[in-house]
Amino acid sequence: MDDRAVLRSVDLDLVPGITVLRGPNGAGKTTALRALAGLVPLARGTREVPFDVLYIGHRPQLLHGLTPRESLRFFLEFRGPTSRAWATPVKTTAREMREDRIRVACDRWGLAGESDRPIERLSAGQRRRAALARLDLETCALTLLDEPFADLDESGSALLWSWLREARALGVAVLVASHGHADLDAVAVRAYALHEGRVAA
Amino acid sequence: MTTTAFPHVLSVRIRPLLGLASVATALIATAMALIWAPPDAVQGQVQRVMYVHVPSAWTAYLAFIVVFLASVGWLWTKRPAFDAIAVASAEIGVLFTALALVAGSIWAKPTWGVWWTWEPRLITTAVMFVMYVGYLLLRSLSSDLEGRATRAAVIGIVAVVNVPIVHLSVTWMDALHQLPSVLRPGGPALDDRMLATLIAGVVAFTVLYAWLMVARTALERARQERVLRARDA
Amino acid sequence: MVSGLRRIGLIAGRELRADARHPDGAVAAMTFMAALVLLESLIVGPQVARDTLVAPALYWIALLFAAIVVTTRSFDRELEDDALDGVLAMPGGADALYGGKLVSLAATLGLVAVVGGVVEMALLDLAVALPGHLALAVVIGTAALPAVVVLDVALTVRLRARAVLVPILALPVLLPQLVAATNAVAAALAGDAVASLAWSGLLVAIALVYATLGLTIAGTAIE
Repeated sequence: MDDRAVLRSVDLDLVPGITVLRGPNGAGKTTALRALAGLVPLARGTREVPFDVLYIGHRPQLLHGLTPRESLRFFLEFRGPTSRAWATPVKTTAREMREDRIRVACDRWGLAGESDRPIERLSAGQRRRAALARLDLETCALTLLDEPFADLDESGSALLWSWLREARALGVAVLVASHGHADLDAVAVRAYALHEGRVAA
Repeated sequence: MTTTAFPHVLSVRIRPLLGLASVATALIATAMALIWAPPDAVQGQVQRVMYVHVPSAWTAYLAFIVVFLASVGWLWTKRPAFDAIAVASAEIGVLFTALALVAGSIWAKPTWGVWWTWEPRLITTAVMFVMYVGYLLLRSLSSDLEGRATRAAVIGIVAVVNVPIVHLSVTWMDALHQLPSVLRPGGPALDDRMLATLIAGVVAFTVLYAWLMVARTALERARQERVLRARDA
Repeated sequence: MVSGLRRIGLIAGRELRADARHPDGAVAAMTFMAALVLLESLIVGPQVARDTLVAPALYWIALLFAAIVVTTRSFDRELEDDALDGVLAMPGGADALYGGKLVSLAATLGLVAVVGGVVEMALLDLAVALPGHLALAVVIGTAALPAVVVLDVALTVRLRARAVLVPILALPVLLPQLVAATNAVAAALAGDAVASLAWSGLLVAIALVYATLGLTIAGTAIE
């Protein structure tokens, strides 16, 4: 990356429900989301995100050599108590419950058959589904989705739509970056447009 | 990230004064080294190279301690002035280290017949040289200001930590295996006038270092400002 | 503190699980090490290679480069599909990453060290006076290498010329470790128990210094 300001003026106010961030390729949507996720140090400005963020990026972020189930287990265990809806002192029971949740999530996202195959043997669409399965497991106050519909077929898209509607009903704050999908406006509570690093509401 | 312009007063007022002081001390130290200090009883006139070798080495070590402090400063405060100080000191430090090594060679060859001697201090100096060249290389291959500063800062800290460790392990090794060296530490005691000349040399080099630092840091700050302003365009 | 350790354990476990399925990094390192030991011994000649100081030196130099190979492969794998971002985006991810890689790479390197050691002892028909001290020196030396290598690889992970940068950054900093490890093994080969333990002790101290420094600083530097 050259020393070039990718984001020049981004002022985002995230509220419960779905916020859409639109913009053409190269506008800086991915950088904006990465900055919100805490992955990019800001040269200027502040990032006030006083709670857990779930960032599902442009690429699946799953380590090659692990199965979807193993990756999901890793994320869930890493987050620790905050992502468990309940906490039990008995380790075995907690593990069983965790495995149960992972199995349910894999089923819901249509990965039942593939959840025990190493991720590099799965298609792009299946990897995307595996990444999105985190949405059901790691519950965070803010969820960032960068082009989540990429690589998804019709059934996958339908699953994502149903999750988005659920999230809206639950009041979870979700920021979706997308350069297409006009129908997102139907579920969105707010929309921003990013153009050459600047935001307009 | 806020930028604080390098204090203007340093650049405009002190720089010429430092320049003058540098020339003055250099002249005095040179005179002392070439004329006033007595020649060595054993090595003769060639021993005068010591008056370049030792002060350069001393200043090099000083420079790298400054790199360390500036690196910590950057990591702590993220103020670009610290990064400017770090790179300036590293560049000047590399120059003085090279000078120390070359002067050491020039001293060694006619005196003991070898260009290099496996003496712990010399080895440590050589390792230091490589580390800081690596530091500068790392900087040159990073493009964004903040990322480059952070990476360099980490190396700047690791490098300083390494210097005493290298010295210790090489000294142990020397004690065990008697590294082939003709220069054993704890040589003949220094004549009073030699000592005074040496101190004068150290002073002269330190003033030179300060002068170069002010110039180079100001230059770096100017570059930083240009980059930061360009981002706003 | 406990949760920090737990997270380090999770990162290490994730790494080792992926390695178990795709041991290409470890296999490459072992092959590389064996080839390097063979090459070095041949070049200086078996007579010279058998010298109590030369044999360990060849070994540790080879292991050092194997460590760079293994660590580079580990981080390259993280960049596939942006797996690294997945870890860094979680609270505590950056800090746990360094510690986790330290543990998992030390384990992998241990395997490489054993294979390389066996190869060298066979090739040079080395006589070992103090096998226990030798084993200790190898274990400590192997565990000490990743502290610096992981830091350097992690620092340069997004840079183009990292293949060139890592050796330049790592070698001078690893010089004391190599000196200590070589002398520890040499003393074990020759039968000098006190010297071997002394050098091993120095190695432990150096390793602790860099591991502590790395654990403190690496989190801020990885991006």
